[in-house]
Amino acid sequence: MILLKGGTIFDGKNILQGTADVLIEEGRVSKIAPSIEKEGVTEIDVSGRIICPGFIDIHVHFRDPGFEWREDIQSGSRAAAAGGYSTVVVMPNTDPPVDNAPMIEYVNSKGAMTAGARVLPSGCVSRERKGELMAELGKMAKAGAVFFTDDGSPLANTNLMRTALLYTRDMGVKIMEHPEDSYLTAKGQVNEGLASSLSGLKGMPASAEYIDIAKGIALCRETGSPIHFTHVSTRMAMEAISSAKNEGLPVTCDVTAHHLSLDENHVMVSKFNSVYKVNPPLRSQDDVKALWKHLSQGVVDAIITDHAPWHEDEKDVPFQESPFGIASLECSVAVVFDTWIKLGKPVDLSMLLSLFTRCPAQLLPDPWKKELGRLEEGCIADITVLDLDESRTVDLAKWKSKARNCPWGGELLSGWTTLTMVEGRIVDSGVESYV
Amino acid sequence: MNWRHKCLLDLDDWTREELSLFLEQANYMEELLNRPIKKVPALRGKMIVNFFFEPSTRTRVSFELAEKMLSADVVNWSASGSSVSKGETLRDTAWTLESMGADAVVMRHGAVGAADYLARKLRKASVFNAGDGTHGHPTQALLDLHSAWKKLGSLEGAKMVIVGDVLHSRVARSDIKAFSKMGVKIVLSGPATLMPRDITCLGAEYEPDPKVAVKDSHMVYLLRIQQERQRQGLIPSLDEYHVRYGATEDLLKFARPDALVMHPGPINRRVEIASEIADGNQSIILDQVRSGVAVRMALLYLCVGGGK
Repeated sequence: MILLKGGTIFDGKNILQGTADVLIEEGRVSKIAPSIEKEGVTEIDVSGRIICPGFIDIHVHFRDPGFEWREDIQSGSRAAAAGGYSTVVVMPNTDPPVDNAPMIEYVNSKGAMTAGARVLPSGCVSRERKGELMAELGKMAKAGAVFFTDDGSPLANTNLMRTALLYTRDMGVKIMEHPEDSYLTAKGQVNEGLASSLSGLKGMPASAEYIDIAKGIALCRETGSPIHFTHVSTRMAMEAISSAKNEGLPVTCDVTAHHLSLDENHVMVSKFNSVYKVNPPLRSQDDVKALWKHLSQGVVDAIITDHAPWHEDEKDVPFQESPFGIASLECSVAVVFDTWIKLGKPVDLSMLLSLFTRCPAQLLPDPWKKELGRLEEGCIADITVLDLDESRTVDLAKWKSKARNCPWGGELLSGWTTLTMVEGRIVDSGVESYV
Repeated sequence: MNWRHKCLLDLDDWTREELSLFLEQANYMEELLNRPIKKVPALRGKMIVNFFFEPSTRTRVSFELAEKMLSADVVNWSASGSSVSKGETLRDTAWTLESMGADAVVMRHGAVGAADYLARKLRKASVFNAGDGTHGHPTQALLDLHSAWKKLGSLEGAKMVIVGDVLHSRVARSDIKAFSKMGVKIVLSGPATLMPRDITCLGAEYEPDPKVAVKDSHMVYLLRIQQERQRQGLIPSLDEYHVRYGATEDLLKFARPDALVMHPGPINRRVEIASEIADGNQSIILDQVRSGVAVRMALLYLCVGGGK
């Protein structure tokens, strides 16, 4: 039994008045009250901090199976817990790709043995992730897949996208699209605009993201099937999603911590440090502004990391030769809150917190949709405690992740999680002794 | 004035004063080159490695000549037939070079930012960017500046038109930096498919029609058109390019009668430049080549030799 004492409660939607204690018994929240006294419990003082439903990241790469030198399900899960996440969804672009039920079961069983965050699998839309024929989506859904996605690549074949949308319409598991028109981004390295013009590197235009999203919206309208767009990075795309939502279409989207906090100038100022090489590329300052604007207007459904770990030997090469990806699970929450504070808090705190909790939970199928993302008596005891006043330097040497390809190494950030709990089990406390 | 640069990666952080001082130094080196005995001992005992990952003739040869004129010990290292072709990474190659005691590395590499990367990995040696992908070619810009400056004197208020494949041109990017620091107004021209998306951030203007662009210009700079651009479908054909954008007598009559015609070489006759222009009396293409050795001597002298 654990008793969290004297925190502010965020229930998934609202920040409640006053402070409260939260009692956790047998993996569930048994009581929330202004003051709870109980014998024989582990008491943890969380005064001055916010007790939240466990944070959820619906888009991470754990490279398992096939690329375990970059990350594996165990190291990734511990990294997620250290970063404040109690649940993560792993992408299926592994080797072999997760495109059938036994592979879903592999992720589930390896995930169940980890000491960190809960690991939920996603499955490929297409067989062998080739973008041609549908994978066994129904079997994967039954085995526990929470999204279908060919992430890393878009569903370039429009007919496949349409077919998969129709086929999954009543399955409760959404298609997650990596929006990119690969003709327009071929050989692309950076955002088309300032970075491409100054560097001579091939640009990836905003239209490449927009065009795939426009295609997805048209098919969503026609099929009535929900579609989720991941790592949306441009104003143009956000405006299209916003108007689709206003139309009442079942369209959802997420943005990454790095697109909310970094722009293409970082590539130039760092003199082409490959740590800033990511797909979609870091965009213009105007795009970053647009992401925050749409986030404040409720257009965004989740904040993700798109945690993309690489071995240092793979990433420490000239920019143009480097693979795409930023690893950020262990600092992304601080990155977002630090940016939010520096921008003068352009969004309500409760709205920002909901993008780590209730909103991403709503994107998942049952039972997670019902169980996660809320904090009330009787609910599952997935809990993240956040301290907005905590300032800490990002110390990559102490990371649980195998990766170090992180732009914030050595930076002082404010707004860290101090405790992560999964089903009543403390998976990270910021202090080794609890774990 | 103390020379503060140890490396030349690109010209972003060079001031106008430094460029002016540099041009004087290059003039002095050019005088040396006209003496019967050209060699001076300025870099005696220094080891310089020329490290070329891409084919190059004039840049590599003129660096090597400059190094030899200054009495440096020179090692030429090419990617093919070396440890690089065995899969060695640039990081390991850099550390190897340093362990061998190189005082300076001149590198041409196909990747943008490769010179910056090498400079971050080397603790002691100077790094000179002899071209990094489509990004920069600062010694080309310095020799272009030197040859134009010798002809025109002050460059303040002069107009330069750069015609061609700016999108893929490391020469254009470095030239824009060098010439605009000296007060030159830069206008880019060429098909929109070969232009960067954001021309303003480069500090230049764009005029699609070269006949309009070259009006009142003191310098007309032609960029090399690679055949690959036709294969990529960015231009319909090399001949159409020549008709619309090539430097011909027809085009040059819209410029100042004394406008200098410049080209980084190697030239594609009947593509970006007609022979009568390349070989005509407005062309300073071969002066540019001559400036190359003097400019690289000045650079090595200032950055490696301790300078003045």
